[in-house]
Amino acid sequence: MNRVRSSTAWYWLGSIWPVLLVLALWQGVTAGGLIGPQLLPSPLAIAERLVERLQQPEFLFQIGQTLIRLGLGFAIALVAGMLLGAAMALGGERWLGPLVRLLAPVPKIALYPGLVLLFGYGHASKVALVVADVVFPIIYATYHGMRSVQPKLVWSAQAAGAGAGATILGVLLPSATPSLLTGCRIGLVIACINVFLAEMISSTDGLGHLLIVAARSYQVVDMFVPLVLISLIGLCLASALQWLRNRLPAAAA
Amino acid sequence: MAENLIEIEGLRKQFDAPGGQSHIALEGIDLAVREGEFVSILGPSGCGKSTLLYMVGGFIAPSAGRIRVAGTAVDRPGPDRGPVFQEFALFPWKTVLQNVMYGLRVQNVPKAMARARAMALLDMVNLGPYADFFPKQLSGGMRQRVAIARTLAYEPRILLMDEPFGALDAHTRTNLQNELLGIWERDRKTVLFVTHGVDEAVFLSDRIVVMSASPGRVDEIVVVDLPRPRVRAELLVDRRYQDLVLHLEARLEVMQPSRTGAFS
Amino acid sequence: MSPGAVRGARARATGVAALPRPGGRHLLGRVLPLVLPLLFVALVWEACSRWAQTEEMPGLAEIGAAFVAILGSPRDLAGVSASLWRMAAGFALGLAIAVPVGLAMGRSPALARALNPITTMVYPVPKAALMPIIMLWFGIGDLSKVLVIFLGVSLPLLYHSYQGARSVDEKLVWSARAMGMRAAPRLVRIVLPGALPEVLLGCRVGIAMALITMVSSEMIARQDGAGELLFNALDMAVYPEVYAMILLIALIGLGLDFGFERLRRWLVRWSDTLQANDA
Repeated sequence: MNRVRSSTAWYWLGSIWPVLLVLALWQGVTAGGLIGPQLLPSPLAIAERLVERLQQPEFLFQIGQTLIRLGLGFAIALVAGMLLGAAMALGGERWLGPLVRLLAPVPKIALYPGLVLLFGYGHASKVALVVADVVFPIIYATYHGMRSVQPKLVWSAQAAGAGAGATILGVLLPSATPSLLTGCRIGLVIACINVFLAEMISSTDGLGHLLIVAARSYQVVDMFVPLVLISLIGLCLASALQWLRNRLPAAAA
Repeated sequence: MAENLIEIEGLRKQFDAPGGQSHIALEGIDLAVREGEFVSILGPSGCGKSTLLYMVGGFIAPSAGRIRVAGTAVDRPGPDRGPVFQEFALFPWKTVLQNVMYGLRVQNVPKAMARARAMALLDMVNLGPYADFFPKQLSGGMRQRVAIARTLAYEPRILLMDEPFGALDAHTRTNLQNELLGIWERDRKTVLFVTHGVDEAVFLSDRIVVMSASPGRVDEIVVVDLPRPRVRAELLVDRRYQDLVLHLEARLEVMQPSRTGAFS
Repeated sequence: MSPGAVRGARARATGVAALPRPGGRHLLGRVLPLVLPLLFVALVWEACSRWAQTEEMPGLAEIGAAFVAILGSPRDLAGVSASLWRMAAGFALGLAIAVPVGLAMGRSPALARALNPITTMVYPVPKAALMPIIMLWFGIGDLSKVLVIFLGVSLPLLYHSYQGARSVDEKLVWSARAMGMRAAPRLVRIVLPGALPEVLLGCRVGIAMALITMVSSEMIARQDGAGELLFNALDMAVYPEVYAMILLIALIGLGLDFGFERLRRWLVRWSDTLQANDA
């Protein structure tokens, strides 16, 4: 058992070494004085500051604000996206398809000022932005996941006596799940990015806002801390979903 | 004399392409199948034999003509006509046992009873120990046995088999042919078996419907008057078997499917 | 063959995506699916605006007037075109650097192993959020803006070039090697054309990312350009202008995507792979 565990550790190390190398180079370059700390803090300095901040309740509150917007926006986008994607896959493509195709290339971040006008400067405008941007990969993933179900699977279910509802829930949705999880992974990262940017552009709180506050007072380390944190959050969420997807038996297909 | 379970009259199927071209897959098919018969549908690629099978199954609608099963017209799939596909079509997210239980659960058979029946079927196809495996962990031959067990579980009157052993290697195929006959001998279900293998058709069937292509028509219906149970080693040296195979091979040779361009 | 399979077969033969498109080949049939959703969105907006009756939600007429005013103002147009030029510069930089690296990654598993973990780590970082840091390093001029856009487009270009190069049939490369072609010419004459469909998909995503990064970085930096115009209008409470600018940026996004899609379809008309035609 110990042998198995240590070999997976080596395997993990084997795939992550380039990142460690870059971090080491970064540390070397900054600690060695090649680039001054007022331009680029060392990774250790950032990590130290992050740990320090994580013990401050006010910082945790800011993280909470960001996470609330992230979670709420993603949840709404997930439900709406699945419903719309399913509707499209089951015959609504004629009407919904052109609408989705029209709105998709519009940069949703450009909508943000309008959303601020309509929903104010608090949570709602950011949640609305996340919904607007995340709903598209979810629609896409649901639609393609359901459309690419093998027809013979549907026929097998119908022959066994399954009605329309049982077929949709019991065959189409499980078949679409791997695709949907991939879409969720993309959607979560988009959500993180959008919340952060919205908080940078116009907000009174949140991680993005903290970056701007630090920028105004030239606190370089404090500029990096929220950025690193949101990136780590996005990375963890994406990895978790990737792990989940790989565990699915249906992902074999 | 058993009654006609399946009656096909004047069946026609035409596929229309958006460019205005149309392809007639089947024309003027008349066929009657008695209950308990094992009928093979034999023909070259493109002769519409799978299409015919799917129409009996209710998955595709005819352009003209009628299909009746036990006196009622066919207009949708149902548990009286159970399909077995060449690609197995097992639900990859369900275990082997869950796949076999599927039809029973859909018909609201209590879980414990469904489980018991499914396990019995899996034992019958010698896959009992694999009940909790996922399809991706099984070989092709094993998956096909699961597919057969899954269809048998909801006890259809008719088995619709679309080249079920086509994706398997020759050795597995002969094993499964024997297994299929063994299973069939027990209940004597009605079987419609699509194949393009002459020896397979002769080995398995009571009658063989030979089809020609473009458009698909019934070319000839051959009665296979060989005694059952059929033992391959005996058949291979049986004169009647050899004559049948030669005759059918010659007929298939004569039929050259014509190419219609847009659909090949 | 079922009708759906037939449609798919013909679609594959002509290289057009197989998603059903209502209307078929008639001009009206092609224009209508584009116009109807626009009308739908416009009608919904107008209805909501009339119902809400607030300053924050002006009607189509006011927005239209502001839109025309922007198009007629040389200063505004100069700002927007400056933004577009910076976008193009950042994108060109991405093409020059990220595509070759991605192609090389596709052919060299060692390089891929070295770079893939880094790109995975960098993927969730909001590139436009680097703007304040970049401005700290490179000042407030065009260089910072172009650099941020370059960072924004690099990842999709890199990823798709990598995937494209990976998927090039090994036998094609072997044939070239047997003919005596060396590594660099092989990359350009065999791998690049083979990878082109995927690379162009990456470009399509890259163009969208360039626009997004441009708009968001300018909204953060607030000096000049389209993003600044947009946010300025918000700050000065000139509400119709806010929506007019959004409309302008949206139209730019649609136009770029539509135009590039036509180019892409034409460039890969020889390819027999199905290409997704949604974003």
